[in-house]
Amino acid sequence: MIGGRRPLPGRKLADRRVRVERPHTPFFRYTGPGQLVAKQAASAPTTSAGRAWARIRALVFGRPLANIEEIGERLTKKKALAIFSSDAISSSAYATEEILRILILSGAAGALTYSIGVSVAIAVLLTVVSLSYRQVCRAYPHGGGAYAVARENLAPVFGLIAAAALLIDYVMTVAVSTASAIQQLQSIYQPLYAYRIEIAFVSIALITIGNLRGLRESGNIFAVPTYVFVGLALLIVGIGVSRIVGGTVVPLPPQPEAIAPGAGVLSVFLLLRAFAGGSVALTGVEAIANGVPAFKPPESKNAANTMTSMSLLLGVIFIGVTIVAHAFAVVPSVDNSGGPTVIALVAGSALGAGGPMFVAFQVATALILFLAANTSFNAFPRLAAILAEDGYMPRQFSFRGDRLAYSWGIVLLAAIAFGLLLAFNGDTHALIPLYSVGVFVCFTLSQAGMVRHWFLARDSGWWWRAAVNAFGGVLTLVVLAVVLSVKFADGAYLVAILIPVQVALFLFINRQYRTSARHLAIGPDYVVPAPHREERAVVPVPGLTRAVVQAVNVARSISDDVRAVYISNDAEETAAMRARWERQVPGVPLVLVESPYRALVGPLLAYLDILDRAWPPDREEPITFVVIPEYVARHWWERILYNQSAKRLRTVLLGRPHTVVVNAPYRREEEGRFEPTHGSDVGGDVGGA
Amino acid sequence: MKAVPEPSQHSFHRAVVAVNGGPSDARIVQAACELARTTKGKLTAVHVVEVGWNLPLDADVAGRSEEAQRVLDLVEATAETERMTIETILLQARDVGAALVDEASEREADVLILGLPYRKRFGGDFAIGRTVPYVLKNAACAVMVIREPMAEELTG
Repeated sequence: MIGGRRPLPGRKLADRRVRVERPHTPFFRYTGPGQLVAKQAASAPTTSAGRAWARIRALVFGRPLANIEEIGERLTKKKALAIFSSDAISSSAYATEEILRILILSGAAGALTYSIGVSVAIAVLLTVVSLSYRQVCRAYPHGGGAYAVARENLAPVFGLIAAAALLIDYVMTVAVSTASAIQQLQSIYQPLYAYRIEIAFVSIALITIGNLRGLRESGNIFAVPTYVFVGLALLIVGIGVSRIVGGTVVPLPPQPEAIAPGAGVLSVFLLLRAFAGGSVALTGVEAIANGVPAFKPPESKNAANTMTSMSLLLGVIFIGVTIVAHAFAVVPSVDNSGGPTVIALVAGSALGAGGPMFVAFQVATALILFLAANTSFNAFPRLAAILAEDGYMPRQFSFRGDRLAYSWGIVLLAAIAFGLLLAFNGDTHALIPLYSVGVFVCFTLSQAGMVRHWFLARDSGWWWRAAVNAFGGVLTLVVLAVVLSVKFADGAYLVAILIPVQVALFLFINRQYRTSARHLAIGPDYVVPAPHREERAVVPVPGLTRAVVQAVNVARSISDDVRAVYISNDAEETAAMRARWERQVPGVPLVLVESPYRALVGPLLAYLDILDRAWPPDREEPITFVVIPEYVARHWWERILYNQSAKRLRTVLLGRPHTVVVNAPYRREEEGRFEPTHGSDVGGDVGGA
Repeated sequence: MKAVPEPSQHSFHRAVVAVNGGPSDARIVQAACELARTTKGKLTAVHVVEVGWNLPLDADVAGRSEEAQRVLDLVEATAETERMTIETILLQARDVGAALVDEASEREADVLILGLPYRKRFGGDFAIGRTVPYVLKNAACAVMVIREPMAEELTG
């Protein structure tokens, strides 16, 4: 970085000064001795194609952001409630429907009445789980995800089980929320049903682009739809309950798509299935415990109080919707019929189907469901990045893109979620059995981890805190067993297979990273000695060109032991090459290899093996530098015309022991500086060896 | 009749800010940014490396010096945090004051802003150094000198 110097005159002769150029300034900034920070221009593309691509990326994803531009918004309780609750509260949009879908299978009179009892049981479970998570908020002010809690307090493998379950949970949140959001819109305008996959694709694509642009959980974006949904849902419940109390309920006539009551028996198993279906209401409850650091101080207290508010709202809306649905004799629609959702029927009964308030509620429901999907787009990549940093996922997942977003995680989540929607034909009900299992695995492991945490920490009141978590853990374990058994055949088996597979994959990746780290590690006492191994250079030459001459010169600068290797299947050509080489490149021996089978790579590798075998066995193996001449094409489309042989050679030589592959690029821009040998042939396979 | 500008109104189109790598650099750059923001003036930071008479004036002194480069890079970073851009100039000269005056003159600056550390000579007199008096005496443009606050042990 030595700048040029320009003399400037002064008012007096002795006042002359010299301006020193600073060529590094557009690209770097010195921050300390020998320490530079790269500016954006340092990573700007230099080719026209690269610049065009960068412009497109900037248009779609926004300009690149520096690390310091990350927004660390601290949230008030009101904003946090909107941000972290969208996932949990939005599940009230489909939880009641899941209960009714099971109970209707029983033909017994009054079977649907049990929906209220089931929803109350789920609300009790919600209370216990939220009380348990309040403890997590207090114990982990830096964020207590199930992965961190289980890993720290139980064992790493439990952390990995929790992580696998969480990743599945996040994927399912995107798939289920998107499918349900589209169903809410189709409840306003039925023909949308035919385009549900296309709408899902566009929605997920938009959320993906938004997140790749670095869309954060901005309080204001979340607050409006969440509070509109909560407000209108409470209004619907209020209207419904007042009609029930006033005795003015008029049961809804069954819609054409309504499920006909089955002929089954109202058994305990059916009630358990209904409970398992409705327990999907608990999904997303853990979000607040994961996001404690985002709260304004005192973080833990605010998070714990927000958790209580969220559970209260979710419980009231969930039970309220179930009571109103029962009172108005709401019956769910048949799968894939395009009929209205239960929440839409409940809203229609209270607000008047098709009216502006009804439409507003359905739109708000769809929006809160899309926001719930977006929550996973923040959580999934963050967890994947933590796992990548811990060495359980490929490192790419911890790299942040131009907009500070974990691009790999975002794209992977979008791809899997859309794949699921496609595979399950955009049907919320078909996706639900896959959803709850992962959620309850996380709850159970998190609570178990917390019990051990309290036993180890022994803070004041540790025994009753441990008791709360232990009760929560046992309860969620029982529910997990119930959910897994009653929904096993419906799809829960997939999760039961996927979690161990994922954990095995995490462990495999971790073992790979640990093995490579062990191989690459240098002991603290090791002092790097001066190079002592002998070196030799081999230049595969396709002819005599400027690129070849440059490669030979590079090889000469590496070692005195240089030889060129020319492989040909034409005896006459070989003889001509020898004559030319000896005349024009004196001092560098040329090895001619005739290849009657027209192979190029094989004979070269065999020649290198022969060289190795010919080396005296009492001396240490030398390092063989294979210097490959390459012609640098000026345009991207030219690249397919050149260097194909060089690429093949490079690929096969990369794993060869004691061998270093050196590319010697020749640029057309160097024409002026290059001193051509008189009569040299610059045609032919200029780059390829 | 042309109105006489208020003395507090530091309106300018181009200011040259002299920096020396001292603790007052950040303060004077922030002050210059504050002033330039209101008038949309252009800022140029100048750092002069004095070359002794034992070396030729164009000897490779400042170009090799990471320290000299860092002084201006930190100034640039300070301006960036103030959401302003500042041009940076690195000079080699026999005398700092003369180089600053000539550079300000060549750039047709309206104001030359300098920092002044609060130092005392042996005996207790305030030491103003030789650069500030030279600039005050010879600069064609307005000169603004921002003196460092007194250290606590001096005020207390």
